[in-house]
Amino acid sequence: MRLDKNYYDILRVDINASEDEIRKAYRKLVREYHPDVNHSPEAARLFQEIQEAYEVLSDPKQRRRYDHLRESEGVDKSSAISLRAIVSHKQLLLGIEEQALYVLLDIAPATDLPVSRLPLNLCLVLDRSTSMQGMRLQQVKEGARQIIDRLNPDDALALVVFSDRAEVILPSQKNIDKAMAKSIASTIQPSGGTEMLQGLLAGLHELEKHRTPESVNHLILLTDGQTYGDEQECLERAQWAGMNQISLTTMGIGSDWNEQLLDQMAAVSGGTSVYIDSPRKVVDVFKTTIRNLSSVVARELTMSINPANGVTLVEAFQLVPYIQRLDVRAEKAVLGPLATGQGKSIVLEFRIKSESVPSNKRVARITVEGDLPGQESRRSWEWIDIFAEFVPSRDTGVAIPPPIVTALGKLAIFKMQEKAMDDLAQGRISAATQRLETMATRLLNLGETDLARAALLEAGRLARTGDLSAEGRKKIRYGTRALSILPKEIRRD
Amino acid sequence: MIKCPFCGTVHVDNTLFCSECGTYLLEDDRRGTDPLGTDEIGWVGEGEEEHEVSPVTQGTGPLGIRLKIGDSGRVVEASLSKAIHLGRLDPASDVFPELDLTNDNGLEKGVSRRHARILKREGVVVVEDLGSINGTFINGKRLAPYLPEVLHPGDQLQLGKLLIEVEFF
Repeated sequence: MRLDKNYYDILRVDINASEDEIRKAYRKLVREYHPDVNHSPEAARLFQEIQEAYEVLSDPKQRRRYDHLRESEGVDKSSAISLRAIVSHKQLLLGIEEQALYVLLDIAPATDLPVSRLPLNLCLVLDRSTSMQGMRLQQVKEGARQIIDRLNPDDALALVVFSDRAEVILPSQKNIDKAMAKSIASTIQPSGGTEMLQGLLAGLHELEKHRTPESVNHLILLTDGQTYGDEQECLERAQWAGMNQISLTTMGIGSDWNEQLLDQMAAVSGGTSVYIDSPRKVVDVFKTTIRNLSSVVARELTMSINPANGVTLVEAFQLVPYIQRLDVRAEKAVLGPLATGQGKSIVLEFRIKSESVPSNKRVARITVEGDLPGQESRRSWEWIDIFAEFVPSRDTGVAIPPPIVTALGKLAIFKMQEKAMDDLAQGRISAATQRLETMATRLLNLGETDLARAALLEAGRLARTGDLSAEGRKKIRYGTRALSILPKEIRRD
Repeated sequence: MIKCPFCGTVHVDNTLFCSECGTYLLEDDRRGTDPLGTDEIGWVGEGEEEHEVSPVTQGTGPLGIRLKIGDSGRVVEASLSKAIHLGRLDPASDVFPELDLTNDNGLEKGVSRRHARILKREGVVVVEDLGSINGTFINGKRLAPYLPEVLHPGDQLQLGKLLIEVEFF
């Protein structure tokens, strides 16, 4: 038994493969690489490896020991990123002109990664316009105080408030006097309008002061109103931030803010946008944000996909932490930071052109790269190959893995929402109405009663008035996006 | 090519969900042991009435089902004249399953509010997972969501971690 060898990869089976699957995989490989059939020296070496792998994995006792030892020895230390892929169809039929193949990819920090918290370089940019008066501002102050409480001495924090103009109320500093910082946060008074760009510029300027190659640089922008005339520049600054290792969490309270702008600003910087429908949720959102920032292990995660000949990538979505369409025009996507205990799930859809000869074909290679400031080899990467077997007829009883069906079911609803909004933007009111109604039915089947009701309500409004309400629009947008967030599965061992 | 049974849009082979209306599309040859026709595999809830057993088929197959639930050993008997939904009662979100598993430690055992349903089609009793979080299992094998599987007397049904023994009468 050799721990440095990945026997699962050698047999091309999943780590959770059943004994039967392992036996089948072994038989197939033997037929391909047996020295009697295959005379290349490479085959002889592979055949030996295959034998060895099968000897260990076919014996439940040895397999358990192997799994256990590999886990506790922390083998594969070279990579800090762990990848797992499930394909929808392990077997593809020969001679079909074009067929679909789905891949569900889980990205997580390797379990054996030494956990060292990276220093935070954080700036809060808070809207204090008149509309924030009362409960909203009160809760935002409480949220800021909670963040201050959770900082380490080597974290840097700055506080910026904005209305018609921006004001730095706490310049960026380390070793913060927490009581002093909290009392500063408490003095924020509401007044004036909403000019976001001013706040954003001041915040980015503060972040420059403590930006190092090791720090997690982040700007939290919270607003409750529309900003006018400076949208394009806000977006450009967010893009600049993304290129300079600064990510943005953009938060909108109530229903009067521009969800498209905030979403885009977050996306281009590799950050997250959050919809806060009630001031009561502000504190929790702040706490979650700081918790996620504190557990970041990799910054600037990117994924590249290399499809084989005859294979094309149609589209890609991030599913977890929330549903988001990934821009894969260059077969490369920016995935933002990766935190411990907060992996990412990606769904990829491929189209595969006809094959005429039975074979086990590599459909694509997926590579994920990240910048890990806490680790010795900073630039870490890992790849995984996706295989599919071309056969004249499929084995019976091969089901599509349930996680893929569940994932795609949720994605289908999200895509319907996208299409409905697109119909609406193009003025196809009745098409959009119908889509919202169908979507409501699907949501009811998932047990998402609240969201289904919101969709039906908006479908009715759309039919009557020709538009959605600002609140309904946000509810549907952020509700469908969050469909993938469900309680963790009970582990079956 | 696959045609969506709901809206008629045509998709390439192996497509799982209709891009136009979100219907779950599944090919005939993939369904393994399930003896039902493709046209009956609609999204759950749609055309619910067609799942009601007609008087003609009522005579065939078992009339009722006896379920022995989990640790408590509670025994429930139900008629198979219409679908039996299994889950946890939640009036706040309009979920009223025929068989409420809340008091059988449903939440702790990972039972979803809308978890699964049992119904009789053409004299055959089937169970269908309704996209539950923790899955539905027959004799330890996890069911694909929305894909009905035949239930036999003596089978062990499992919702999340809750075990249920099945008998017919």
